[in-house]
Amino acid sequence: MSPSFQETVSSLLARRLGGDAENRATSVFAFDQAGFVRGTFFLVLLLVMACVPTSAQAARVGDVVETGVVQQAIRFFTLRDPSVRYALLGAVLIGVSTGLLGSFIVVRRMAMAGDALSHAVLPGVALGFLWNMSKDPLAIFVGATLAGLLGTAFVSWITSTTRIKEDAALGMVLAGFFSIGLCLMSMIQGLPTGNKSGINSFIFGQAAAIGPTDLKLMAIVTVGAVLGVALFYRQLLVTSFDPGFARASGLPVRWVHHGLMLFLAFAVVIALQAVGVVLVSALLIIPAATAYLLTDRMHRMLAIAVAAGVAAGVAGSFVSFLAPALPTGPFIVLASASLFGVAFLFSPRQGLLLRWWHQRSRNARVACENTLKAIYHLSEAHGFKGEGALVRELAERRRSTLEEELVRIRSLVAAGWATLSDDRAVVYPTPGGWQRASEIVRNHRLWELYLTHAAQISPDHVHEDAEKIEHVLGEELVRELERRLQFATVDPHGKAIPAIGEIRGTAPSRGDTTIGFRRSGP
Amino acid sequence: MNELVPAFDFQRVFVTPWASDFQGNIWVVLMGFFAITACGLVGQYLVLRRMALVGDAISHSVLPGIVIAFLLLKSRSSGAMFVGALFAAVLTTVLIEFIQKKSRVKQDAAIGIVFTSLFALGVIMVSLFTSQIDLDLDCVLHGEIVNVPLEFPFVQIAGFKLGPASVVRMAVVSVITAVLLMVFYRQLLVSSFDPGLAGSLGVNASVVHYALMGWLSVVVVSCFDSVGAILVVAMLILPATTASMVTDRLPWALASVPLQALLSALGGFHLATWLNCAIAPAMVVASCGLFALAWVFGPVDGQLAKRRRRRANSLPETVLDPVSGKT
Amino acid sequence: MNNTVPLPTPHTPRPAPTDAIPLEVHDLTVAYQKKPVLWGIDLVVPAGKLIGIIGPNGAGKSTLIKAILGQVPVSAGWVKVFGEPLKKNLRRIGYVPQRESVDWDFPVNVLDVVLMGRYGRLGLFQRPRRDDVDVARACLDQVKMLPFANRQISNLSGGQQQRVFLARALAQEADLYFMDEPFAGVDAATESAIIALLQELKSRGKTLMVVHHDLSTAKEYFDMLLLLNMRVVSFGPTGQVFNNELLQKTYGGRLTILTDVAEAVKQQS
Repeated sequence: MSPSFQETVSSLLARRLGGDAENRATSVFAFDQAGFVRGTFFLVLLLVMACVPTSAQAARVGDVVETGVVQQAIRFFTLRDPSVRYALLGAVLIGVSTGLLGSFIVVRRMAMAGDALSHAVLPGVALGFLWNMSKDPLAIFVGATLAGLLGTAFVSWITSTTRIKEDAALGMVLAGFFSIGLCLMSMIQGLPTGNKSGINSFIFGQAAAIGPTDLKLMAIVTVGAVLGVALFYRQLLVTSFDPGFARASGLPVRWVHHGLMLFLAFAVVIALQAVGVVLVSALLIIPAATAYLLTDRMHRMLAIAVAAGVAAGVAGSFVSFLAPALPTGPFIVLASASLFGVAFLFSPRQGLLLRWWHQRSRNARVACENTLKAIYHLSEAHGFKGEGALVRELAERRRSTLEEELVRIRSLVAAGWATLSDDRAVVYPTPGGWQRASEIVRNHRLWELYLTHAAQISPDHVHEDAEKIEHVLGEELVRELERRLQFATVDPHGKAIPAIGEIRGTAPSRGDTTIGFRRSGP
Repeated sequence: MNELVPAFDFQRVFVTPWASDFQGNIWVVLMGFFAITACGLVGQYLVLRRMALVGDAISHSVLPGIVIAFLLLKSRSSGAMFVGALFAAVLTTVLIEFIQKKSRVKQDAAIGIVFTSLFALGVIMVSLFTSQIDLDLDCVLHGEIVNVPLEFPFVQIAGFKLGPASVVRMAVVSVITAVLLMVFYRQLLVSSFDPGLAGSLGVNASVVHYALMGWLSVVVVSCFDSVGAILVVAMLILPATTASMVTDRLPWALASVPLQALLSALGGFHLATWLNCAIAPAMVVASCGLFALAWVFGPVDGQLAKRRRRRANSLPETVLDPVSGKT
Repeated sequence: MNNTVPLPTPHTPRPAPTDAIPLEVHDLTVAYQKKPVLWGIDLVVPAGKLIGIIGPNGAGKSTLIKAILGQVPVSAGWVKVFGEPLKKNLRRIGYVPQRESVDWDFPVNVLDVVLMGRYGRLGLFQRPRRDDVDVARACLDQVKMLPFANRQISNLSGGQQQRVFLARALAQEADLYFMDEPFAGVDAATESAIIALLQELKSRGKTLMVVHHDLSTAKEYFDMLLLLNMRVVSFGPTGQVFNNELLQKTYGGRLTILTDVAEAVKQQS
């Protein structure tokens, strides 16, 4: 016996049983089609997104001044108000930069590092504010970036000099820096001088507070991120996938990492004004994770993450714009979370529902094939005489009630594998059905024979295994099995194995009688 | 800048608070002490089990649980809060595991997705229903520990005034935490160290896991009012990491938690008095200070000790020659 | 050095100085958190050999490769590749890490992975060109994985994943290859395909150092063996090195238990 063949069989079995074998047969055509499917699918996602604000708005209408909401919505959509334009443009820019960088964070499994970095910027925000006692975007940008990078440095410093594991180090830095930031913030609040308004909006985000200078910074960072990713895409890809290999081929793994962290800090800081310190990490993680579910290629993941980030940003800023007291960040996060939920359920490859559906249809197919097999066995017991099989006998044989059997036969009929007589007493397999039945029986018996022959398993142990394998074996493997078994004709239990030639024949015949195909009714 | 950092005045920082308002301030410090004790004890096991970030996630995601419990039960009773938070905590763990199992999203991203979403939901509900639930965003962020002494009437048992309700509750929770950890010490230890072995010893590791998560949510909720969602993370993790610099025996590490709690609470309180800043974050800053000290001076994993040891025994002498079997 | 050698065409590696020793290691010592993992490794590796690195678990086999490639901090010693420091000759080194070292859910397809083998040759901003893709496809063909070029890598079996890694190393067009357990968890067909490929590379004058864990096949696969257990127990032609005394020294007595167990199993069946 050859282990390699067994390996092939078992891997095939595992894959067939575990997943969608159909999806894996990749041809160029199928591939393009899959891309198209994904593309359209994403459009649908966007449409769903468009509905999210509506429902949130509905929840809001009840307890706030109604006209205010409508007026605000009109203001938002007509883009008359410069602050609306700023907020929208800001949301788009933030979506682009966080989507790009977040994708790399997710595939590098650094999601929590992103979270720690985003909390660690808070003391920098406070110090930036203290620089000239006003909400100067540039000073805050510099301070926050430095604080974020310092936090990241602390994490690697702590993990490299002590036994503290990375998760604990991240948590410490996250909360430690954040508490320092809170202390500073409360000290600023207590100061008698300075324009303190708006500093709190950094914590939960206020997209409406985005000003022209903020926008300029956002644009610079976003353009930088896009250029950086475009120019160093290769380096980012290989160092994320296999850093050891990247280092061995002379790529600057460490510099790529530092560069990524730097831009990550930039992206976090420009997103602060809109999303806030507490939730900005969500914007890094969730759109990227959504994209991760939807595609198998990095460049598409980047594109989808950007689109998801932009969509969530726009939706979130819209909702929070409806009433003055509403923070933007949580709405953006909820919008992207609902996108993730949709992808989680409906993704073409990874989606829960689709996989459930595949499983279901696979089970249905197996059930049909088992019924066909029972019909075969029945007619074999009768020496292949007569046409079709009595439903009553079928039910007896499978120890089920007549009704149960009829339900199973109906699904056979629906699949085009059999027809049922008008009095519901006899089931006739169609030529296709009979062929499938013969194939299943052949697969079953071949596998039993193979196990007893090649693997020296005793004949009374092989049936269970063959019950599963019979539905899975493909034509190629069957040929291989037949060749290995020297085209044996009898299984370990002494029953005949239907040969391929007979199965392929248009008139399924065995012995002296032709059986099977007959249309019921006129 | 001078306005920001007031001149250090010993009298003002250390004497006046106790002389003028002892009754008020003692409750603040006690609240901090009990909160850090309870969190630190549970946190030891989180850190041991490398679940520090799950702790982070749960401390954030109890928020919507609390808010929903407020809204549904229309009461601010401890019971309602505990139930809501427990529900949210279990939901968080289940969701994280569900996402991880049913898709290729890895644990770190799953944690990030679940807790940020739930926290966002909580923040939205807080900002929508502030008036009805007596919670605001500041409280979510860093708690209102200063309000603790204002809670009247004090809890009374048999006519004896114990103290503000939240402090009493926190004290009870931290005592129960300590007792639970003592009673289930073996189960926790073995399931943290080697879940496989735990199974063979008849300890159901997943029961221990969920029990720990559940109790974590209880602890988090009981200090939520005072320290908020994010600072709790520090209180969970810092005592454990600081202890690991100082000792490598778990019982000692656990025993060090109350001491650390006392130092952090007192230190934080005086720091806040000096700098005129929020008290709860200052307590965490004090904890960070303790960690920094341990990081440098800790006898087990501290940098100075390590450097000394590295100098004392240069490499080859310690090596057992694998071929000859001699040193 | 660079100035004297005429500029090579893009896909032919810089011609080796004929006398250069592919790999020379002197007194290499590696310690993780004060515990030594490798200790005083001395090696002079001749060209055109297929060399197996064997030793018990925790002997530092992978660490040796990582230390040579400069991926773990080294406490002492030096490494020369083709007579020069490692950094100067990175392009002449091919590396196959352990299959478990990467995330196979990563959103790339098979061709993307093999193309990574070309990245070391590209300039900072240079994108892979048509002929890089051609090389990658040819390498995929060599390991019989071309029909899978567009497949996402998580949809591959263990043996196929290993072939992809091998194809990536081939795409590096190196002279000295380091392979970390390329036979771990692969089926027999892949194993024989891989060893045939390694033999062919060797016959083209490449030098290959392969971490291997299966003693039963080590003797037939490799020209030379490096018996490793924290230090070099022995290094030499397989015929001279592969004997009970040295193996026992390497495996520290554990081998006898293993052979006893194997005997017992054989008698049982």
